[in-house]
Amino acid sequence: MLEISIFAILALFMLGGSITMIVNKQPVFSAFGFLVTMIGLAGMFALLNSQFLAIAQIMVSVGAVVVLSMLTILTVNAKEENLPKEPHKFKWILFSSIVVAPFTLLVYKTLSILPAHFSDIGTINSKVVGELLFTDWVLPFEILSILLLSAMLGAIVIGRDSKKKKKKSQKRRRL
Amino acid sequence: MSTASIVVAVTAFVLGALLALLTIPVLVWLERRIASLVQDRLGPNRTNVFGFRLGGVVQSFADVVKLLLKEEYYPSHIKKGRWLFMLAPVITFAAALLAFMAIPFADTLHIDGEALRVQALPIDYGVLWYLAIGAIGVLGVIFGGWMSHNKYALLGATRAGSMVISYELPLGLSIVSFIVTYNTMDFNAMVQWQSGTFFGFLPAWGIFVQPLAAIILIISLFAETNRNPFTVAEGESEIVAGYMTEHTAMKFAMYFMGEYVAMNTASAVIITVIFGGYQVPWVSTEMMLAHFSGFALSLMIAIPVIVFLLIRWMRKNNTVRPTVSTDSGRNFETKVLSIALIGMTLLIEAILLYLAFFANSPLGESISVMLFQIVVFVVKLMAFNIFFILIRWTVPRFRYDQVQHLGWYYLLPLALLNLFVTALVVVGVNS
Repeated sequence: MLEISIFAILALFMLGGSITMIVNKQPVFSAFGFLVTMIGLAGMFALLNSQFLAIAQIMVSVGAVVVLSMLTILTVNAKEENLPKEPHKFKWILFSSIVVAPFTLLVYKTLSILPAHFSDIGTINSKVVGELLFTDWVLPFEILSILLLSAMLGAIVIGRDSKKKKKKSQKRRRL
Repeated sequence: MSTASIVVAVTAFVLGALLALLTIPVLVWLERRIASLVQDRLGPNRTNVFGFRLGGVVQSFADVVKLLLKEEYYPSHIKKGRWLFMLAPVITFAAALLAFMAIPFADTLHIDGEALRVQALPIDYGVLWYLAIGAIGVLGVIFGGWMSHNKYALLGATRAGSMVISYELPLGLSIVSFIVTYNTMDFNAMVQWQSGTFFGFLPAWGIFVQPLAAIILIISLFAETNRNPFTVAEGESEIVAGYMTEHTAMKFAMYFMGEYVAMNTASAVIITVIFGGYQVPWVSTEMMLAHFSGFALSLMIAIPVIVFLLIRWMRKNNTVRPTVSTDSGRNFETKVLSIALIGMTLLIEAILLYLAFFANSPLGESISVMLFQIVVFVVKLMAFNIFFILIRWTVPRFRYDQVQHLGWYYLLPLALLNLFVTALVVVGVNS
């Protein structure tokens, strides 16, 4: 009973947070909704008795993602009137949720027929995770790090190019 | 769940909450008195309740009353999201409070073969918990700064955020090198690792085993807690009060208290990771339990000496100049406090005498060792808090670009290098 009520509260928080994130126009409130969702997700992991995953979730999603996105919001410092107008937002949300629904069902079905040792969380701790990452899963781990590196490089390249274009466009405007 | 485990868990939780919350007034008082000491004046020492001034601690309670009774004022230009404006200080305060909960106050109690942790939140990933929850704290600062719709607040919030990002890396890397050395992520196991000796005579504290990582850890924790010399987020001379410019009354007090709780937590992490936590140098918990009568005897000699010195110091200092006609109850306060101290000493002596020579109860012995370790922990915690405060009042503030320069150009490469060397040494020793 206690577990179910905690689960319900966390689920409410997560749902509310994610809806806030999608619906809100101001990026700050979206970031706050994301924060609430991520803390709720960490709480879910903690409820499943997986401490390491819960703390890693808070560390990565809150400590890195939310802080960085907030920093971006602070740096851009967009005024309310400069935010993009989204007249058909709710239609789009409805449409995309209908499109995604079958995939959600698919994921649910897949997860419910997973082999038993996947749900045996009692043995998972940081040591096991670390050993697995550097023995059995070393190739996916390295590929993931290359993916992150390429994303970083891409961001730098895009940032540089846009500066040049800006200068060009400014010149054109002057002409 | 036996009764003992429930009792220990509840006690540890209450102890954690009290240690985090009750140190706030003491820290505010220490801040003022030490600032006065540095600036050669007395500081607040007049506020009293029935003549008891306790050196001025009562002033902090008067301050709390003042802040509670102040008018709640909202800047009228904040139209949307007032709730987030109000919630932001609470996030900072709650995160600082929660981060403290993973600190062990004493060694694991063994009652009837059951191992009970004296830790408010008994988890194995104490270090990760501190890093994770510590990162939430800055979000309160950023949200508050953004919601204020104020240039200074925005600048302060940006500075706080970018500083946390640039100092999280050296902090994390230095902690990783401690994790590699101690081979654990558990605060309690870290403290147990530090109970031995290093080179035969030094206590195996982190600061002797990993001096470079220890210095990086201390510097980055100073930056993480927004204390001087890293107070760029609220640099009065540049950006008024930074992120808290628009916050008044209790909202300001939340930020203020959150800063002190964060400082307390940072001191606790520092002493747990690099100063041996609750342990006395050269003496491990097992040694104290094995030679309990010797431990009790040395305590029975040490406590009266400390209390005698304390009473003499109090009698000398809690007076007024002879030219002043009335001492407004200072003699009375000294007398009452002396009697209370002597009574407590006699009680402790009696209990120790009984436990050491007349009773043979392992439970009582382990509980008294636990209490002794808690006292050692609090003494170390306060000593490090005083260090934090002394730094604030003696070192001038860095400029913002200097802070970033220090973080990225010196601390990060040094921490990386240290981690590399540590890994090489650990692999070399173990293979």
